[in-house]
Amino acid sequence: MSGPLLQIEDLRTYFPVRGGVFLSARGQCKAVDGVTLSIWPGETLGLVGESGCGKSTLGKTIVRLVKPTGGRILFEGTDLATLSTRQLKPFRRQIQMIFQDPADSLNSRLTVGAMLEEPFIIHGIGDEAARLERVRELLAIVGLQPSALERFPFEFSGGQRQRIGIARSIALNPKLIICDEPVSALDASIQSQILNLLLELQQGLGLSYLFIAHDLAVVKHVSDRIAIMYLGHVVETGDGEEVHRHPRHPYTRALISAIPQPVPHRASQRQVLKGEVPSPINPPPGCPFQTRCPHVQDVCREQRPPLREVAGSGRAAHAVACHFDL
Amino acid sequence: MTSTAPSKRRGEVLLDVQDLSVEFDTEAGVVRAVDGVSFTVHGGQTLGIVGESGCGKSVTALSILRLLPRPMGRIAHGRVLFRGEDLVTVPDARIQKVRTGEIGMIFQEPMTALNPVHRIGRQLSEAFLLHQRVSPRTALERSVEVLKRVGIPSPEIRVSEYPHQLSGGMRQRVVIAMALACQPALVIADEPTTALDVTIQAQIIELMKSLQEEMGMSIILITHDLGVIAETCDDVLVMYAGRVAEQGTVDDVFHRPSHPYTRGLLSSIPRLEYPRKTRLRTIEGMVPGLMDLPAGCRFNNRCAHVQDRCREETPGLDRITGEHAVACHRWRELAPWQEPVA
Repeated sequence: MSGPLLQIEDLRTYFPVRGGVFLSARGQCKAVDGVTLSIWPGETLGLVGESGCGKSTLGKTIVRLVKPTGGRILFEGTDLATLSTRQLKPFRRQIQMIFQDPADSLNSRLTVGAMLEEPFIIHGIGDEAARLERVRELLAIVGLQPSALERFPFEFSGGQRQRIGIARSIALNPKLIICDEPVSALDASIQSQILNLLLELQQGLGLSYLFIAHDLAVVKHVSDRIAIMYLGHVVETGDGEEVHRHPRHPYTRALISAIPQPVPHRASQRQVLKGEVPSPINPPPGCPFQTRCPHVQDVCREQRPPLREVAGSGRAAHAVACHFDL
Repeated sequence: MTSTAPSKRRGEVLLDVQDLSVEFDTEAGVVRAVDGVSFTVHGGQTLGIVGESGCGKSVTALSILRLLPRPMGRIAHGRVLFRGEDLVTVPDARIQKVRTGEIGMIFQEPMTALNPVHRIGRQLSEAFLLHQRVSPRTALERSVEVLKRVGIPSPEIRVSEYPHQLSGGMRQRVVIAMALACQPALVIADEPTTALDVTIQAQIIELMKSLQEEMGMSIILITHDLGVIAETCDDVLVMYAGRVAEQGTVDDVFHRPSHPYTRGLLSSIPRLEYPRKTRLRTIEGMVPGLMDLPAGCRFNNRCAHVQDRCREETPGLDRITGEHAVACHRWRELAPWQEPVA
């Protein structure tokens, strides 16, 4: 009986907002505000949301690049939220990350070979010959020539750099990879190459992914389950097909209808949301979506709707954070 | 499932670009970023230019208004006929008048297109002061009007704010307001929604559509997003490595894509209806750099249907039907009318 690989419970990450002469804390930016999610072995959980919704902060909090304010991050039963840096080290091998812009996330002064060897040195794995062999193997897995070993990141195109980033992330045989907008900086024809590679690696290595992106079509394509985030909260989660076909939250519906489809003269029943995402600094009480929701009622301005299951249960649950059954 | 909705009636030809080539001086020699591109824009209609980074779509747009970086960039060949007048050869004073007075421009990144140290109202007034010779007070009043028109709440207050005080979507509305200030006949929009979130992008697209209906201007929309093209454009120009790969109406290009590159692009985008976790079709390899373009067809090193001829001869633009044209030696044999997605 196996449970989830990663279980996040009521995770909160707040940043102090400083101002004034002595830079005293003036308020809190609630980037992630009470998120509960789980990822099962071998599956992809897709996390969708617009800029500033907290999706990247959530990813960084899970790998503990950012310290959470509260809540639990249970990885195979161990709570990572409270571990010290030293205690975290063995878990760092298990959870890796792929970043959006491979130009910024690769060290421009290291050759690709040196960069890919580094994780093995840090974790004291193998001798030099064994490390080199593993690095060659990694390059082959992500579809790069062995000649890449001696070259520097600037000598590669965006798509190839992302392949290097992926090779680095799988070097230590992790169980979970946080992919933070891995294809949004790439051209359309390159994007599909990288998505295919990620799918192949998942099948071959049994990886689990948390796939973070703003593009719902991309996320839905690679994910088993998806979660929609808005202003630090998860507003809807469930099986990808189910959420796409029967979206329950008004925000999810608006998001789906806003995606331009490559089909001319599509019956334009687009529902365009008014207004913009409010600031996560000292947000108002109640539902995070109240300022833009077409169905807003008094109760939405007072009470924050909990994430409640509307269909299925456990892993297959479809849950939505809305007071109403719309 | 091919739906051919009646397209809008063709207005007169407003802009006629003929055989445009643009060159840049670089350390490694002269690079031809745009090579023999021709297209027309009709009154009240929208032309989309689509392609991946480095395909020359932005350079094409900049050359229309002679905004190429000088002295490195220059129009090497071709004509840009705007209402019959060749903008390539008109005097500087004339092109100044055309910019924003008759052709407006919307840039991708609204923060860099706006001057951070001037208030919104002052920046907008400039257009009216320059082109309509009105008093500063009238110019400011007109600025408030045009801000209201692009859907900015409480424009009277916004005119006295600075760009950093506005959100990304609001800034893009200001940039649109600036481009529209003098009621231009043509607006060139270079990736106007790329920096914006999906729900804000939808707002801006709807805004541009309704303004076009109201004011009747033509639009050249440059984007890498085929979805945005399909939803907003009448005609499409697909560019690859500085050349036109395919052009035609949206129906032609989306329902009867005839260039292997167009077909590759259309089938490589993940769509919501696709079954999850299936392999996407891809175009192998990557866009060649302008310094090492292959001889013959520029797509030949990525094309699944490449033959010797493609490596030797540059394919010309072949007319298929009406305005639909493709630059491929083999389009006839390659089942050009198949649905873009199998």
